[in-house]
Amino acid sequence: MLDRRGFLKFVGGAAVGTLATPVVWKGLDDLSIWTQNWPWIPRLDKGNNLNTYITTTSKLCPSASGMRVRLVNGRPVRVLGDVNNPLSRGGVSALASAEVQLRYSPARLKRPLRKTSDGTYVAISWSEAETVLRAELAKAAKDGGLLCLSGDENGTMNELLSALTVATGSSDFYLMPGEAQTTAAAWKSLGGKGRVGYDFARSDYVLAVGAGVLENWGPVVGNRRAWGQARPQDGEPAMRLAYAGPVQNNTAAGADLWLPIRPGTEMAFLLGIAQILFARGCQSAGVESFVQLASEWTPDKVAAVTGLAPERLQMAVEQLLSAKAPLIIVGTDLAQGGEAVPVILGIALNTLLDRINQDGGLRVLPVAEPVFSRAMSYGDMMAQDFTAAVRAVAEKKRPAPSMVMIYEANPVYAMPGGAGVEALLQNAGFTVSFSCFFDETAKQCDLILPAAMGLERLDDVSTPFGFGESFYTLCRPVAKPLYEARAAGDVLLGVARQIGLDLGYASYKDALEAKAARLGIDWGKLMEGACITSRVTLPLQSLIFPSEQIATALQGRLAQPEKGTLAVATLTKLAFGTADSAIPPFCTKLVTDAELTAGELSASMNSATIRSLGLSEGMKVRLVAGEASLPARVRAFEGVAMGTVALATGFGHANFDAFNNGKGSNVMDLFTAVEEPGTGLAVWRCPDVKIVKA
Amino acid sequence: MSATQEFRIKWGMVIDLDKCTGCGSCMVACQAENNVPPAEDGLNRRRALNWLLVYRLSNGKPFPDHDIAYLPRPCMQCGKPSCVSVCPVVATTKDEEGGIVSQVTPRCIGCRYCMASCPYHARYFNWHDPVWPAGMEKTLTPDVSVRPRGVVEKCTFCHHRLMAAKDRAYAEGRDPEKLPDGAYVTSCTEACPNGAISFGDVNNPEHKVHELIKSPYAFRLLERLGTDPQVWYVSRREWVRRLGDNYLNNEPTKG
Amino acid sequence: MEGKNYNLPADAAFFPEGVERCSLLRFLLHLVPIVLLGLWGAYAAFRVLASGLGVTALDDYFGFGLWIAFDLGVIALGAGAFFSGALRYLLNIDKLKNIINLAVIVGFLCYSGAMLILVLDIGQPLRAWFGYWHPNVHSMLTEVIFCITCYCLVLIIEYVPLMLENRQIVKNRFAHALAHNFHLIMPLFAGIGAFLSTFHQGSLGGMYGVLFARPYVFRDGFFIWPWTFFLYILSAVGCGPMFTVLVATFMEKITGRKLVSWDVKQLMGKICGVMFSIYMIFKLLDTIAWIFGILPDAGMTFDQMFYGWIYGRWLLFAELIVCGVVPAYLLLRGKYRAKPSLFYISGLLACTGVVINRYVMTVQTLAMPVLPFDHWETYAPNWAEWGASAMVFAYAWIVVAVSYRYLPIFPQEKELNSK
Repeated sequence: MLDRRGFLKFVGGAAVGTLATPVVWKGLDDLSIWTQNWPWIPRLDKGNNLNTYITTTSKLCPSASGMRVRLVNGRPVRVLGDVNNPLSRGGVSALASAEVQLRYSPARLKRPLRKTSDGTYVAISWSEAETVLRAELAKAAKDGGLLCLSGDENGTMNELLSALTVATGSSDFYLMPGEAQTTAAAWKSLGGKGRVGYDFARSDYVLAVGAGVLENWGPVVGNRRAWGQARPQDGEPAMRLAYAGPVQNNTAAGADLWLPIRPGTEMAFLLGIAQILFARGCQSAGVESFVQLASEWTPDKVAAVTGLAPERLQMAVEQLLSAKAPLIIVGTDLAQGGEAVPVILGIALNTLLDRINQDGGLRVLPVAEPVFSRAMSYGDMMAQDFTAAVRAVAEKKRPAPSMVMIYEANPVYAMPGGAGVEALLQNAGFTVSFSCFFDETAKQCDLILPAAMGLERLDDVSTPFGFGESFYTLCRPVAKPLYEARAAGDVLLGVARQIGLDLGYASYKDALEAKAARLGIDWGKLMEGACITSRVTLPLQSLIFPSEQIATALQGRLAQPEKGTLAVATLTKLAFGTADSAIPPFCTKLVTDAELTAGELSASMNSATIRSLGLSEGMKVRLVAGEASLPARVRAFEGVAMGTVALATGFGHANFDAFNNGKGSNVMDLFTAVEEPGTGLAVWRCPDVKIVKA
Repeated sequence: MSATQEFRIKWGMVIDLDKCTGCGSCMVACQAENNVPPAEDGLNRRRALNWLLVYRLSNGKPFPDHDIAYLPRPCMQCGKPSCVSVCPVVATTKDEEGGIVSQVTPRCIGCRYCMASCPYHARYFNWHDPVWPAGMEKTLTPDVSVRPRGVVEKCTFCHHRLMAAKDRAYAEGRDPEKLPDGAYVTSCTEACPNGAISFGDVNNPEHKVHELIKSPYAFRLLERLGTDPQVWYVSRREWVRRLGDNYLNNEPTKG
Repeated sequence: MEGKNYNLPADAAFFPEGVERCSLLRFLLHLVPIVLLGLWGAYAAFRVLASGLGVTALDDYFGFGLWIAFDLGVIALGAGAFFSGALRYLLNIDKLKNIINLAVIVGFLCYSGAMLILVLDIGQPLRAWFGYWHPNVHSMLTEVIFCITCYCLVLIIEYVPLMLENRQIVKNRFAHALAHNFHLIMPLFAGIGAFLSTFHQGSLGGMYGVLFARPYVFRDGFFIWPWTFFLYILSAVGCGPMFTVLVATFMEKITGRKLVSWDVKQLMGKICGVMFSIYMIFKLLDTIAWIFGILPDAGMTFDQMFYGWIYGRWLLFAELIVCGVVPAYLLLRGKYRAKPSLFYISGLLACTGVVINRYVMTVQTLAMPVLPFDHWETYAPNWAEWGASAMVFAYAWIVVAVSYRYLPIFPQEKELNSK
């Protein structure tokens, strides 16, 4: 029998004995292995270390970043810069960097959806979706009531969409309002032909007015590459940069000279520059009326309007005059809905400095004829004003379209709150959205079709806005579309053909091949990732300076701000998405207190402004403009012009995904669309706001 | 506590602060390259994992004389790291040719003593298990293991890229201990559209950084504490250089 | 067998010889809120282990927080065990036998409680043993891990014979013999304990003193040791014995019985007075050297060390003067020490001062920006951290209560309470 003592001996012996076996030691060893291999921690898929690279160009990034996508066993894992891309030269934006991960955004639209009468969505198959699309398109072709909006900025898709629109008997094809249209409108009112490009890379002195040339304006990655390369760490800079704008933003951070001017005073600033230039003897043919107009804009008067110290204005002019290849670029921080008159003045100043068609100057680029025979020409497309069309519908000056088709655009979010986009969608007979994401606009449409992302389809990029050379390249798919997403081009060509609208091509690829042939580029080379550039310019015709338009526009902008109100400046960063996307999951860590404070928009003001309004840092406030108001928190930032509040854009997505929801508010809610006096262009403008304590 | 170990090769980074505009491209590239999970609330500075973090610097002057600069902060790979000697389990070491401070996450017990020791806040703790949105784990690179909750991680100068560069050199019959300039660069170096970041062996006269660190405008962060960082910053602006270290009022700015 | 006396509590047979205890029901009832507190704490601990440290308020700035401050605090306060033990067994100050048992229990609770918290505090508790498996001999924390665990074992060895002296257990011949043998070797363990404890009290201080990139705590070396090594030893031995006295006095208040004689308390107070005064001299010198040496070397000023109310100068004033010089003086001067009110207040102040010291060195160090362009951060523990700390408090309360009820902790109790 085992007595108690025996039992204890047994237990003790067993304990000691166990130590001599591998059980304990192996157990500990296993334990240390377990703690690094929990089943819920993703294991790495080495994919036999099979790395391949595909070069392509980003459709997501407005600056058309050239990308070298790394694939592991066919799985895209990284976006790297493509050093062979003549535009971005190895650079890649924060936005494009996050693009392969963005494919798996929780907001990604997975399958076609149909909105039911009670406002819910039901998943349908592609064949059902195409049936609906066919029927609705056929109906629209009968009444000619199709309105089409495209968010693409530089692709042949716009030709396809405009050709389709025209084929249905409508002329309502629009691009999302962007800097390109504003500049085209300015160029047109000067009587220019072709289109405007800025030869940023070869300039030795860039004066950027409003345009965030180092963050979000035009071919920004290319700009930044050129700017960086011109400023070696161990030598003197070969390019200097001045930035005129209300906020010390990322462009100002790189600028040698920051010229703080109040929002909306760009015209006064540019006229002030002109005044000094004329006084210093700069001349050019046909600018008499310009001289007249500028003569009253002495530095002191400019200072009174813009808040810019006269010495700084003088300094900017001195630097412009001493530069060999100066370049003036006028744009807006929003890069959307800007005013044309400042751009006209910018072009006029470039003319005055004899910078047209010069290396490092403003270059007049030719535009290619469209390959779709019924497509609108580049000039016609640029002249189409979506903001104005939306307003006309809202004001019942024209009937609501019987069908609205939206391609990769999110106007409900990106357009001014007061623009009337939602009314347009509600009043339209039928609405359809081709979208990568289940965004605010898609949610309001009757038919929602999942579009393949830029990385998942064959597409092209043709001379992105602002680039100083003609440029063409293909975007090659690096992976199959996720879920049930499809490339919209082929879907539309198929549907159009089925209802008897022949656009001339069986597939989108055929259209691209025709485009390449038209441009005289070898398709095979393009499919290997080649980018074709050309420095051919159109000869400059004499420009007509529209001084009356400018004088009228100026009058409309000279109203003194009401006491106690602040001008609104926006702060746009590419990393926080574009008009048709949102903050990619991999970019949320880039958000700082410059954008959000305690989950609400930061209302950044300099401390003098804060004091003058009796506010204090961190205070909860509301910004009120007419009926619109936004919650925000006061943030002290000395890099904001007097009497100005800076607000970040790209926030306040209502119901996008967990990476966007609950972050701040949409600044566009404060904006309204107004007609620019003089040019008649529909521009987006934020009225001065009152700040009330919340 | 531990003596400085000298290496023949010293991988170093030189960041030109006059060229950094704060776009965040480096941070995105770093996360994607090193399989750092995205954060829904990225604004939470005190919890979000950032091997590389861009700080905003201010000259402290009121409008309109205000100036800003941005400062990307990777791990400094200190020559005399304050973190290595304190780790109770040898989970972080500085013993490999090149001088990169390693972080052995499978060994880390998560005591966070290294974080307390590091004045640069270069070390981050996994407060939660890493989560990728459904499907996004398919974009994980095969190069860097995913870390579970409860361990500390940090920038490794993309050490896997060094290994890959050496492998390539072996395969091509070159000396893996004499990598040419540019054969091995970090993900952030490559991603910066402005070219603000340079990377190479600061001991090798054939590498560009060898000269760059001799610039009169070059400085290192908190040099006077004696950490001997392998990351240099360059700025022509004195106020930026002065923010690189703590100075008493009467002390002149170095560099 | 004794005859059953129904006037005695149901568990009277387990009480130490010749002492009175309250009824079992009353005893159990008093434990109810404590157990509830402990259960709440256990839930917090469970949440921490199950979901990770994300449930705490710790973050990448405050990798150390309440728990580390708590650990350092209780370990300092628990120093009564090793120091009184060393005096009792090694220097043969016989009078201390009257309080040494309590000192051992308090020490054991402080150390085991700290270890419990440490298990929660490390991110990978399953790898806790790596400290032995992959030790880094250069790390102060390695020394701490070794010494704390070893010393905790010593405290168990010191505690076990006390348990064996329970009236019923001691009847077992084996237990009796074991207890006796343990007592014989106790000086050996007191010696080992004193050695281990001295070292890790020192290495706990060393942990901070070596942080050469954290000017708030960095203290240059004395030979191979940072200054804080010695300051921590001195501060621990300066307050630990008084903490034991305070616990004894608290128990007297709760139970309504006299447990330790005034002269024993006074002796402990005198010891503390001396040690704490020595500590304060060095601490003040250290502070001066810090202000005029270490800080300027780091390019920092004294003013930069404080922020707002939460990390204000009042903490330094409280630590050094109100809870430093004042109790040191009061405990050192016999005439003040002899006054019970001043005696207890000084004890409380001294203990508070040391806890403040551990807190600021843990938290304020991390709150202070070292990078010139960074800014102060503030930290407040959340429920999970308080909960886990409360769990240790509840655990300690229960162990002390049970030990008091059933073990002959206080040799003087019978005599002091005889009427």
